[in-house]
Amino acid sequence: MLAPFQYLVETIYLGIIAIVIGFILLFYWITKKPPKRRIMHEDHLNGGGIEKGEKRWLYFLLTIAIIGNLLTLSPLIPSSQILLWQDVKPSKTVTIEIRSYEFILPEKPIVVRVGEPIEFIVISHDLTYGFGVFRKDGSMVFQMQVVPKPYENRITWIFNEPGLYDIRSTEYSGPKHPFMLVKDAILVVGGDMD
Amino acid sequence: MNESERKILALRFVVVALIFFALAGLEGILMRLRIMNLLTEIFTEEHYYAIMTAHPFVGIYGWAYMAVMGAFYFLVPYVLKKDIYSKRAAYVSFWLMTLGVFTVWATSFITHYAPLYTLYWPLPVAFELTGWSPLSAFTFGVGVATILAGVLVFFFNMFATIFLPARGNPKPETEVKATPWYVAKELIVTAFNLDKLRARIKGVPNYVEKVFNYPVFVVAVFRGCVDTTLNAFVIGGVGALLAVYGVSYLVSQSGLAASLVDPLIYKNVFWWGLDLIADGNVLIFTAGAWYLLVPLLLNRPLYGERVVRSVILADLVVSLLVWNHHMLADTPQPLILQIQGQIFTWGELITMGLTMFAILMTIWLARPVKYSAPLKFILASILGYAVGGLAGIIQANYSINRYFHNTQWVIGIHGHIQLIVGLSLTIFAAIYALFPMLTGKSLDEKLADMHLILMTAGGLIMGLSMGLAGASGMLRRTLYPEGLGPFEPYMVAAFLGAVMMAAGFAIFLLNVLRTVGLRNLIGIFMPPKNKG
Repeated sequence: MLAPFQYLVETIYLGIIAIVIGFILLFYWITKKPPKRRIMHEDHLNGGGIEKGEKRWLYFLLTIAIIGNLLTLSPLIPSSQILLWQDVKPSKTVTIEIRSYEFILPEKPIVVRVGEPIEFIVISHDLTYGFGVFRKDGSMVFQMQVVPKPYENRITWIFNEPGLYDIRSTEYSGPKHPFMLVKDAILVVGGDMD
Repeated sequence: MNESERKILALRFVVVALIFFALAGLEGILMRLRIMNLLTEIFTEEHYYAIMTAHPFVGIYGWAYMAVMGAFYFLVPYVLKKDIYSKRAAYVSFWLMTLGVFTVWATSFITHYAPLYTLYWPLPVAFELTGWSPLSAFTFGVGVATILAGVLVFFFNMFATIFLPARGNPKPETEVKATPWYVAKELIVTAFNLDKLRARIKGVPNYVEKVFNYPVFVVAVFRGCVDTTLNAFVIGGVGALLAVYGVSYLVSQSGLAASLVDPLIYKNVFWWGLDLIADGNVLIFTAGAWYLLVPLLLNRPLYGERVVRSVILADLVVSLLVWNHHMLADTPQPLILQIQGQIFTWGELITMGLTMFAILMTIWLARPVKYSAPLKFILASILGYAVGGLAGIIQANYSINRYFHNTQWVIGIHGHIQLIVGLSLTIFAAIYALFPMLTGKSLDEKLADMHLILMTAGGLIMGLSMGLAGASGMLRRTLYPEGLGPFEPYMVAAFLGAVMMAAGFAIFLLNVLRTVGLRNLIGIFMPPKNKG
């Protein structure tokens, strides 16, 4: 039921935290025992600069931060590919309005084709809402916040899988928020459906 | 204020903080049940969201802030070997915090006013759409402003304690300088190492920064306080804004127009201020508590103390520039700001990574370590920050945020693991460490172990279950009246985690009551008996 990208992120994350939990447990167990060799230098107490091991750790963290930024901003991430790297001209623009906790769609379902860039413009007439598109299994395709007028909230997306999708508000806007769900709001045709 | 009075004051803060912790926990369990579509007759959507609105205020300001304040009112004078600057201000801050948190909670409980802690404009004043009364916005706003007034009084007292000579034996030359302006100037110069900069410009050789006059724990206190003071102005300002709007609607039917406030600019200012809690109160204060407690518990110096001081400064600077990671899904927000927010957030990986390294190396060099309860709690809190912090770094990337923003991932794995397993366990570590100093008695270690295991495992199970539901698409702040569907097993597991944490806390309370007795606990709120 997980979308492939979220599944990938979750797997990597769980792998890393398994290592972290294992490390802390091992650290606890080892540090209870006396050291096999006399404890090394205490350079860090002399008030001097950064110690060698700490410097290595700093370089490691810096490297991770640089790689992390480059990777997540690269076209390897599907959303980054669409939002940052592809200079796509939408072949269709759909304007959706929200007023008094209701999505007002130009048509239902909104019909788009697989692989076709579609621009959603969402305008709120009163509150801050969210605009999220979900698969039938509940997993999220994409989302954005909907800042109320005078702002327009735009996102261009390319659907890769045919089928029916639901729209749901992804931001709390008062106790009526959970009911802001439009089932089968988007129909993506093409691909396997052809 | 003598040491005995400071002990009583610290205990009062901590006891009230624990009451708020219990209240936040109870609210959390009720919300866990309601999200599973149980208790729907008792808790309507309106009531559920009112609980959700009160929950973070009670948990953050009632529990975390008040516990930290209590600890600092005792520890800062203890470390600096001088008295708190103002006894009256200390009590004023206690009452402002208690009354402010209670007002916010009571407003939500009685009126079901539920703009959540995010307070996204214009929701808090959308009276016609939501059916909330302007009076509830007014009392809620007053409650928020009162809390943050308490925070400001506390921080001024802390800054004055640190930077001014103790009252009672003032030196003539420093007495003249004892003004708020002097305190603010000393704070800014010392917190940001501006004296070093000035010395460099003037070409002063071998200049040692003023910050080295203070123990590293105190450095963390005043640098963290910079963040939280700024936070207090912003969030307190929002509270005052709500109160003003509430009054305007009470006196006139049309009231002030919501359009007077730009929703996007408001959101930027709000998140800039709010995020300073996460990076000031949580990260810097936690680091400060570790820097103080670990060397104290192991009776050895802190590893890499010089580096650690720079790390706290880096954390302070980074924390001022990361708010955009909350606005990655706002498409009207300039892209350049969003990318800037992402890049600076990765800076927190470096500062927190170095903090953890210093603490772990201090423990490593102390082998063989005899782990006392507070030391175990600190080790577990490092685990909490690692697990929760990593999730935060992931969701704070522009492209990944598109899939994780506002899902249970954010509030589960990142928010709750960081706040419960990270921050709360650090606070409990401080309570276990300070308990003998404040009461002359020690808490039972076996019960402390049970408390630790249940809180850590429960927190991880709850946070991870919520997070994995979020990765599957489950939203935060959202009820699923049509049924939870595939998210249900995650929510059941999260509930079990919450129950485990509640059991851990109950064991802690039992431990405290067994050790000091209920009568003595109540006694700290009674006026002192006059001897003779």
